[in-house]
Amino acid sequence: MKKLLALALALTAVLSLTACGGSGSDIAEDGTFTPTKTVTWVCTSGAGGGSDIFTRKISDIMSAEGLVNGQTIVVSNETDGAGEVGRNKIATLKMNPDYNLLTFNSGDLMPMVTNTQNRSSNFRILAIMAVDKQLLFSCGSTAGKTDYAKAGGDLTDFGAAVEAAKNGTHIVVGGSKGDDIATYDALLEELGLTEEQMSYITYDSTGDAITAALGGNLDFVMSKPAAASQYVESGDLTPVLALSTEHFGGNLADAPTLSEIGDYADVEVPVWRGVAAPAAMSDAAVAFWTEALQKVSETEAWETEYLEPNQLISQYMNSADATAYVSAFEADYLAANGLS
Amino acid sequence: MLENFASLLMGFQVVFDPQNIGACALGAILGLIVGAMPGLGSLAGVALLLPLTYKFNPTTAIIMLGALYYSNMYGGAFSAILLNIPGDSPAITTALDGYPMAKKGRPGQALMAANTASFIGGTIGILILTCTASGLAKLGLNFGYAEMTLVLLIAMTSISWLIGENPTKGVVITLLGILVASIGMDTLSGVPRYNFGSIYLMGGITFTPFIIGAVGFAQVIKLINEREADEEKRKSGTYEAVKLSIRGSMLTLHDFKRILPPVLRSSILGTFVGVLPGSGATTGSMVGYAMQKKFKSEEPMGTGAIEGIAASEAGNNSAAAGAFAPLLALGIPGSGTGAVLLGGLMMWGLNPGPLLFETNPDFCWSLISSLYIANVFTLAVAVLVIPFLIKILSVPIKYMIPIITCVCIVGAYSTSYSMYGVLVMFFSGIVGYLLDKNGFPTAPMLLAFVLAPMLEENMRKAFIASQGSLGIFTDSALKLVLLAIFLVLVLTPSVKALLRKTKHTEKTAV
Repeated sequence: MKKLLALALALTAVLSLTACGGSGSDIAEDGTFTPTKTVTWVCTSGAGGGSDIFTRKISDIMSAEGLVNGQTIVVSNETDGAGEVGRNKIATLKMNPDYNLLTFNSGDLMPMVTNTQNRSSNFRILAIMAVDKQLLFSCGSTAGKTDYAKAGGDLTDFGAAVEAAKNGTHIVVGGSKGDDIATYDALLEELGLTEEQMSYITYDSTGDAITAALGGNLDFVMSKPAAASQYVESGDLTPVLALSTEHFGGNLADAPTLSEIGDYADVEVPVWRGVAAPAAMSDAAVAFWTEALQKVSETEAWETEYLEPNQLISQYMNSADATAYVSAFEADYLAANGLS
Repeated sequence: MLENFASLLMGFQVVFDPQNIGACALGAILGLIVGAMPGLGSLAGVALLLPLTYKFNPTTAIIMLGALYYSNMYGGAFSAILLNIPGDSPAITTALDGYPMAKKGRPGQALMAANTASFIGGTIGILILTCTASGLAKLGLNFGYAEMTLVLLIAMTSISWLIGENPTKGVVITLLGILVASIGMDTLSGVPRYNFGSIYLMGGITFTPFIIGAVGFAQVIKLINEREADEEKRKSGTYEAVKLSIRGSMLTLHDFKRILPPVLRSSILGTFVGVLPGSGATTGSMVGYAMQKKFKSEEPMGTGAIEGIAASEAGNNSAAAGAFAPLLALGIPGSGTGAVLLGGLMMWGLNPGPLLFETNPDFCWSLISSLYIANVFTLAVAVLVIPFLIKILSVPIKYMIPIITCVCIVGAYSTSYSMYGVLVMFFSGIVGYLLDKNGFPTAPMLLAFVLAPMLEENMRKAFIASQGSLGIFTDSALKLVLLAIFLVLVLTPSVKALLRKTKHTEKTAV
């Protein structure tokens, strides 16, 4: 009994201590915020993936450039519930809201608004850091196993494949989940094709989809420049369509946009990478973080170590612009998918 | 091929740099520790250490991570054999025979068999990798969804050997495993299934906590029941402490003869399984174990047969080596750990992809040669720790209960750093115990849980590609061969029974 009592007392002491530690303001009299505690940055994707690299790169640059007052940034990969648990936690966080950040990309927003009641308005959107776009590639050289390849279709000509699809030959496109599917849907609608005429196979990652394409299991594979670049270099993949309103650069410059292939409008669904925070974050902290993120986007390390290797387009938007942009993006997405 | 060996020698030169040898040894030791802890598989180990290596030069970094990944496969067997808790998923099949063998009083030999099999399996896997790296990866690519579906169906047949005495119970438990596996996000359409409105269930039942619970925590509950008996035994002085030295753990010549054939078979098969996109070490050990069921073992499999341990461990380690082929030759990760390594390559400024062997040969070949070194290092360390590990077995049950519970909680927590994993672990532990108590074997449930999602994904992709036509499973020679193997495996028992019946009726007619 004595032991039990001691344990209960110890527990109460610990709990009250942690509860006390939670409050306390770090906002100076002039209304500016300076971090004085460890910062937690939640990334709702696993370690090693695109979102994780994005998160760790920014936190590395922030520490190296001394943007966080010498405080540590701890990256926490919270993948429960396909990421929904982590996103919900940040949206509703009341403890230390000024010290919690969330990596928030278009690929996170789409499943979130489709499968849960959580909306972007439940967060403070701090910034958008970069934008990515997709292309379609084919792997024309290998012996294809698809209907179109067996029928002798020209895999390097996307326009011919669209005509074939309209005439009853089944076309198979593959890509990653999330944002790639949204781009496929937009493409299908513009082309006036059905899912039966041009099917889409979802892979866990773009890497898996490229694997399938190299094995001749797909007619076309959707990818962002970074993942496909090496294969274009080695001649294993050929870019056949830029899902953009303008041509890409470098070895992807040959890919035409949709309007150059036929009587269609260009299809472009920008994939953005951003940073969000709890709804309860103070205005002073929002101002601090959006400025710190702007400083990161202006460093050389960001340019040479992140944007260039991943062939991303730098597009910093501050909190106000990013909030407007994300709200518009979300409204379009909800409308396009008949959600509310 | 000679060219490959010349490059390999160059790789060895790089590896023998003291700094790299140090990195290799450190990786091997860390990997063994991480592998031995339930829940912390190679994925977590590599992911946790990755940030540490950014400051290294890429070659040193990959040598360390390669060694870590590799030695992990050894570590998983330790807790599987001694505590019946698989350290990682490839060790599930190791526990099936390893734990009974340890219970039979031969824990040292069981560990030694696992180490030996791991070493031989790994060496064969790396040798095949050295000779054929890029060619092998291209071969793996030819396995499309239809072929993978058939391979997985063949792997699924292995469940039938684990079902035990009561087939109905076995089928029920297998279906339960499939049902639990289907909770979560539908991988093809992104629609949540069976989540009952909970955002936690949206991501599915997490694999590692589920296994730790169903096997490890269920074991704790069982131990609670045995506690009194253990105390009595210790008090009355009839208890004999297990004392073992390395010498006492040595395999006899007879043991070695028993494990050699399964090791060789599993190693070659495992390497090829490792090369296939999206499979990896878990499938390697399961296929290896399943195949061993078709061959003769001195004791029945599942009751502590040394052949079972050997087949499982050799398959596991050779598949881990095989998985490097697509990673290096094509930039394709064969497993989750491969994906993290791939992320690492990019952070170090290398471009993984089909050109890696040409643009950074020193890097690729030092990695391959470091695997040889890591293999030897790990074997040495793994053998040396056996006497210390064995001590675990003589710890009184009353101390074991809280210790294993802690290990289970830490392991379940560390998969996603949340209490959700711990809840899953406790729940599956209680269910696992109740099932076991009522004569339902849990192994089929675990295998179904691992294999069913892969089977579903590949089969559905095949049907999308073929627009629902079954023809996609029969339109090439390779598929027909796989299909034939599957049908033979499935139909043999019924045909045999039928033949016996006709013979019987003939006899009675006469």
